[in-house]
Amino acid sequence: MLSRIAESLYWMTRHLERADNTARVLDINVVYMLEADEGATEEMQWRPLLTIMGADELYEELHPDGRVTVQRVIHLLTQDRNNPGSLLLSLKLARENARVVRDRISSEMWEALNEVWLSADKHLKTTLQPWRAAEFYAFIHRQVAAFFGLTQSTMMRGQAYGFMALGSLQERADMTARILDTRYHLLLPDLKLVGSPLDYYQWGALLKSLSGFEAYRRKYQGGIRPIDVVEFVVLDTDFPRSLAYCVDGLERALARIGALPDGAVPERLAALRRHLDGATPQGILDLGLHEYLDDFLGLLADLGTALQSDYFEAHLGDDAQ
Amino acid sequence: MLRQFQSGGAGQIQMQRAGQAMAYHEFYQDDFRPRDHYRPMWEHIQTTGQQILGAKARDAHLTLHTEGVTFTVYSNDEEGIERVWPFDILPRIITAIEWAQIEAGLKQRIRALNLFLKDLYHGQRILKDGVVPPELIYRGKDFQREIMDITPPHDIYTHISGVDLIRDEDGRYLVLEDNLRTPSGVSYMIENRIVERRILPEFFARYRVRRVEHYPALLLQALRYLSPRGAEDATIVVLTPGIFNSAYFEHTFLAKEMGVELAEGRDLVCRNDKVYLKTTQGLRQVDVVYRRVDDDFLDPLVFRSDSELGVAGIINAWRAGNVALANAPGAGIADDKAVYAYVPDIIRYYLGETPILPSVPTYQMTDHQDRMYVLDNMEKMVIKAVAESGGYGMLMGPSSTTAQRAEFARKIEENPRNYIAQPVIQLSRHICYLDGELESRHLDLRPFSIYGSDIEVVPGGLTRVAMTKGSLVVNSSQGGGSKDTWVLAD
Repeated sequence: MLSRIAESLYWMTRHLERADNTARVLDINVVYMLEADEGATEEMQWRPLLTIMGADELYEELHPDGRVTVQRVIHLLTQDRNNPGSLLLSLKLARENARVVRDRISSEMWEALNEVWLSADKHLKTTLQPWRAAEFYAFIHRQVAAFFGLTQSTMMRGQAYGFMALGSLQERADMTARILDTRYHLLLPDLKLVGSPLDYYQWGALLKSLSGFEAYRRKYQGGIRPIDVVEFVVLDTDFPRSLAYCVDGLERALARIGALPDGAVPERLAALRRHLDGATPQGILDLGLHEYLDDFLGLLADLGTALQSDYFEAHLGDDAQ
Repeated sequence: MLRQFQSGGAGQIQMQRAGQAMAYHEFYQDDFRPRDHYRPMWEHIQTTGQQILGAKARDAHLTLHTEGVTFTVYSNDEEGIERVWPFDILPRIITAIEWAQIEAGLKQRIRALNLFLKDLYHGQRILKDGVVPPELIYRGKDFQREIMDITPPHDIYTHISGVDLIRDEDGRYLVLEDNLRTPSGVSYMIENRIVERRILPEFFARYRVRRVEHYPALLLQALRYLSPRGAEDATIVVLTPGIFNSAYFEHTFLAKEMGVELAEGRDLVCRNDKVYLKTTQGLRQVDVVYRRVDDDFLDPLVFRSDSELGVAGIINAWRAGNVALANAPGAGIADDKAVYAYVPDIIRYYLGETPILPSVPTYQMTDHQDRMYVLDNMEKMVIKAVAESGGYGMLMGPSSTTAQRAEFARKIEENPRNYIAQPVIQLSRHICYLDGELESRHLDLRPFSIYGSDIEVVPGGLTRVAMTKGSLVVNSSQGGGSKDTWVLAD
């Protein structure tokens, strides 16, 4: 397969996965901020989203007065042209990459993706109002799910499929780690509130951001406990957004593609695997969740770099480094 | 209290008009001005405009339809008719001050009724002291002799209660009835909130509304608290009569929200006074059963032997202390409509306190004078069968026909213990958005309380609306609708 095609497949799903996660995280927040929360300010509700999306600095630049408001955060993360990570731009890039590989994906997949881009673009010609936002995010979430569903049912399993899986799972692992890290550290000071409604809603929001609330409840009958959340989100290989699940999937995807004999990817992936193997929820908390996730994100970034050099830059020749 | 009303010819159905002008209006303080706490909402309705409101009402219906939020109306054929949950988009708003009184009143009432049940099934002091007449209890359909002297975990009988409240002409909250057996509606309370948030988020921006969605978490906590083998790894099930039950949606909803199994009677089996779930891995012991099956059908060995919905031996397992049942069998005697008249005395007797929430005056048909008075004034009365629910077995005097009144008079003479009567109370009214118009309709309120290590009342409840103009019947099974209920944080 052409390196360029491989790269486009990878970025198509990676951007799409990002758009989906962005929509979900925003949606949960929009819906959750509607009711009274004892003592939570607008800033407390919305700053974490900037952190999760890595948009803190950009926000400072755009809003020197430093006030964090719903309207501004929604605008920046959803449609601001200055934000390379905005939902709208993610969809645009997903579609542009899809155009490049149109002949490699099924026509149903292309149509689904094209449709989500066209509707989002039309919808976001004007500023998205907070009370219209939930509806919009839910729509995006459904459309992206339709694309991935069609991928499952219409796409040949082979190298192309492997690169798509790599893109989507790498982005997913990245987002899961950020969501857990950011939200967990906001909630930790509140451990005295365990069992109170506020706590239930806050931890619930964390799990809902990962579409894991219902599954978690079924598995852990003892309410929401920090140590269980860590086990579930980091190590549960049955939960399709956990770090362990993503790494399993990355290994399977690499097996479809075939590793290069002198490539850097297998070693990077093995490092991620080592990071997870043997970890226990208690061990992670003892070491410090933030440190653990930080290391994980570092290793994940290394994998991205290795993919770039092993597969995507090959077409530039040796002297292009 | 009630205006006399011109009775029509025989067989002609009259619409209730009496006292219409006197019903308390939740929304308006006079002909033109909304009450203070409704003003922000009113301004918003004005600026939103008809067209958008109409679109939102359609969205709400569509959402409920797509999500399969339904209830079943029993009909003559086996199946029953599944209907989309009827929802009015304009919320009902309760101020923090009003709520504080409701909450205190409900806690007091539930605490007393629970002590009453414990007493009835153990020493019966209250009967010996002559506070409640023994024959009233012994003739009650829901007094279960079979469970005398059984001590349920932590002495709790009424784990989940839904007490119906109405407001009289002065806006005072009164208790209309207690539901202590298998009260339903809590899933609709939560679904109403979810839909309201989706379709009217801009309304929320103007208020500080308290949350209700942690109800299933509170329920799970209370159920685990009952587990005989300790809360840590308790196996809990929701026991449903099955898909034809009118509240089946709610049973699935609660099981899913709590992350526990939804079981039918045939999924459970008793061995050596223990209850087990039949699983693909063999039998698994059950610690707590949140049962949504009525006493009668719960255990064919103890109650109705022809029941196929229950679990043979579950009462013995409960007696042996190997399983907890919520709500406890036998709790129904405390929400018997004839016992209702004695609840203020029950509160005074066990707690030594003055009842916080008043009751509706109630005539006992077993009392000769009461009965004569009611039979002479049937068109001014609501007559209720004592152990029915869901608006069944009821006569609405003002809108009844001569034939219907004659039939009820006969039934009362035949079995006076089975009926009580109350004066028609004008339920309060509220605006609803119906077919593009704002119209006023009568409504009530069912808040939900959970009794675990303490009593918790979830700040909200199910507001039920009588959708027919002038009607006072709010039950869903009788065509009632609902509203999201907002309790304000301050």
